[in-house]
Amino acid sequence: MPAGLMERVAPASVPSTVDVGAMRADRIAKVRANMADQGLDALVLLGNTNVVYATGATWPLGDPGRANFEQPVAVVLADDEWPHLFTPVPDSIDGCGLPADHVHPAVYLDLDEGARSFNRRLAELLPPGGSVGVDEWTFAMARECAWLRSSGRIRDGGKVISKSKVIKTPDEIAGIREALRITEQAIAVVEKSLASGVRQIDLTATFLRAVFEAGADANTLDPIWQVMPPTMEDGPWTTHGDLACPLLTTERELQRGDVLWVDTSITHRGFHSDFGRTWIVGDEPTARQEAQFDRWQEIMTAVLAVTRSGAAYADLTAAARSVTHGHTPWMSHFYLGHGLGIDAAEMPFVGSDLGQAFDDSHRLEAGMVLVLEPLVWDDGAAGYRAEEVVLITDDGWEPMTDYHYDPFGRTR
Amino acid sequence: MTGTMVADVAPDAPALRAERRERALAAMERDGIDVLILGREANARYVAGVPRLWTAGSRPFTPGCVLVASTGDIHLLTTWDEGVPSDIPHDHLYGITFNPMNMVEVLRGVSGAATAARVGTDSLTPMFAQLLPMAFPAAEFVDGESAMRRARRCKTDAEVEEIRASVVLVERCLAAAVSELAVGVAERNVTAAFMQEMARSGVTTPSSQDVAWITSRERPWQRGDGATPVSEGDLVVLSGGVIRGGYSGEVARTVAVGGGSADFLARSAELRAALLAACVPGAASSGLLDVYERFGAPPPPVPVARGLGLGFDLPIIAADLPETAANDRLDPGTVFALTGYLWEHGVGAAMTVDPVVMTDRGPELLTEERA
Repeated sequence: MPAGLMERVAPASVPSTVDVGAMRADRIAKVRANMADQGLDALVLLGNTNVVYATGATWPLGDPGRANFEQPVAVVLADDEWPHLFTPVPDSIDGCGLPADHVHPAVYLDLDEGARSFNRRLAELLPPGGSVGVDEWTFAMARECAWLRSSGRIRDGGKVISKSKVIKTPDEIAGIREALRITEQAIAVVEKSLASGVRQIDLTATFLRAVFEAGADANTLDPIWQVMPPTMEDGPWTTHGDLACPLLTTERELQRGDVLWVDTSITHRGFHSDFGRTWIVGDEPTARQEAQFDRWQEIMTAVLAVTRSGAAYADLTAAARSVTHGHTPWMSHFYLGHGLGIDAAEMPFVGSDLGQAFDDSHRLEAGMVLVLEPLVWDDGAAGYRAEEVVLITDDGWEPMTDYHYDPFGRTR
Repeated sequence: MTGTMVADVAPDAPALRAERRERALAAMERDGIDVLILGREANARYVAGVPRLWTAGSRPFTPGCVLVASTGDIHLLTTWDEGVPSDIPHDHLYGITFNPMNMVEVLRGVSGAATAARVGTDSLTPMFAQLLPMAFPAAEFVDGESAMRRARRCKTDAEVEEIRASVVLVERCLAAAVSELAVGVAERNVTAAFMQEMARSGVTTPSSQDVAWITSRERPWQRGDGATPVSEGDLVVLSGGVIRGGYSGEVARTVAVGGGSADFLARSAELRAALLAACVPGAASSGLLDVYERFGAPPPPVPVARGLGLGFDLPIIAADLPETAANDRLDPGTVFALTGYLWEHGVGAAMTVDPVVMTDRGPELLTEERA
């Protein structure tokens, strides 16, 4: 089956390159329609990925602390087909085609003077008494920006973006595929370097080198190469009694036979990737480990069999549990599946602690990109975990990648 | 040289944790804050001293760490106890959740939640503005970020040493980037060399990820797509930063590939020296902006000085914030990245970033290379 599950790898509907202009126009139309639904005249967006989505501007994402002062801000107006961008990185707009009069110098919304100056500039853009949604705010904004409470209460602008971005356009799917391709190109280099005596940080060093050379704009997750203990009891204490994962990478030297759970994510031109596999250091899997992989494939196959537009999230969780006699085969602090694209994890969330009623009442839609990440835990012999990225279609799903499962399943 | 992790994930040193927590509690007391809820990773790290998973980009506010004034208790968002010091007991750890109502339940469990009168947060989202009153029914919600900024602005000696160690690593990574830099090599391969050296040295988290760029001869501030090969005579900026033990170190240098642009680079060195000379203890921070005016050079679109520490830190001195610069003082104990930037049509740009700690005697460079 390896080389099997994901062999249909090129959805015919997906263009090979991203048409940035068309993508921006598609997005802003959706955002404005959702603003109209919620009666919003303007959106003010601070969150990095919200700004990326609304404007098409991209820049290499920095440390979250640094992101608070190097923070592009977007303003979307209900009656304007172009968003405004306030940016400390003027070259972030290259290629996104914003008109010059919609690009403004940086605002520092963490400082009172910055919030005051933004308030003045916004007053020139906003209709008097207009209703403004915002995704988040600083206390400097709370002091200086009266529009924050323009309709008596603060309106949620972040929801407009989460709703708009959940269904991907063909251009966006092409962008996500490119981010996945770059990641997997680097992962293949790391996989070759895997050997006893190599440290976890060496895997990160190899990955970072390869992924930047392959064209990544930024690494977005401190890469995970977690050595799984044979039994859960040998791992750290957890709040829920389930597995501790993902644990941070250290200078730990890998040993022959170590079971590694791998998880990485990068961005390329504003699109996130996600990659997850299980590797064994310097060895072939035992029969017991192959059996874990077989079971994981059974779960994945069962889930994919019900994965299509219109399926309730609960159809997928039930399919997974049907293989494991009702036991939950994914990390209980995460989910069976999550959306991917503008963020590393975004809506939809399938099988999370939002609960059964949530999973019963929410349905997949064509154009969603879903990362499925079931696992098999076999206490005494660790376990198998991998992630698959699929595009939801009207009659099922299409694979977004075709990365192999080595060293599992090679003997058959 | 090693990073901070070695083979185990350890909390920050006990003395560092104790000193920082004390400062945070003192700032809370001054502002009359009963409970402080921190969403920003750097604030949470400052108070709890626990390394958590790094991701890039800004994050929306979520209650990641709670500090209670009356008891000094810390509640921390983490599903496991790896890297958690013994002064944060297991029953004060709460796991990852996607369900905001589960978060409300956690917050209801914080001692004194029902009666807290003033609850500070470091920023807010519309969702948590609605939810927090369910956990703190008697509370007024106030600015907790100001308290954290006051606590963090002037560094303790131990913090300066942490930043210095981060800076030393950056210099080592920049040296690796310089070794990679040659005619025909793409910008992104130079960035890749920086990142590889950083991780090999035990630190897997950069503070910025656009390390190398060929400066434009046509536009005052422009970075390419990273794929452009370096040509003879290009002025290439190498600007790197790491987050090591939570603390950021940042340094930038400009290299003329194959030599050349000697006069321009000499002028850049003069600007750098003038900026350092303007770092007078207690002086108005606007003196840094005046240096650009004296040089007849427009200040860069990025801040001329910004705090180094855990994440977002003061001061922020930028041309777009003239009042802030006029009112801010270069107090001893502040640590900041000082940016020199010059551009000339037909030549390109030269950027220098120098990490500086202000002392009573003047500025001290935190780099090993003092020249």
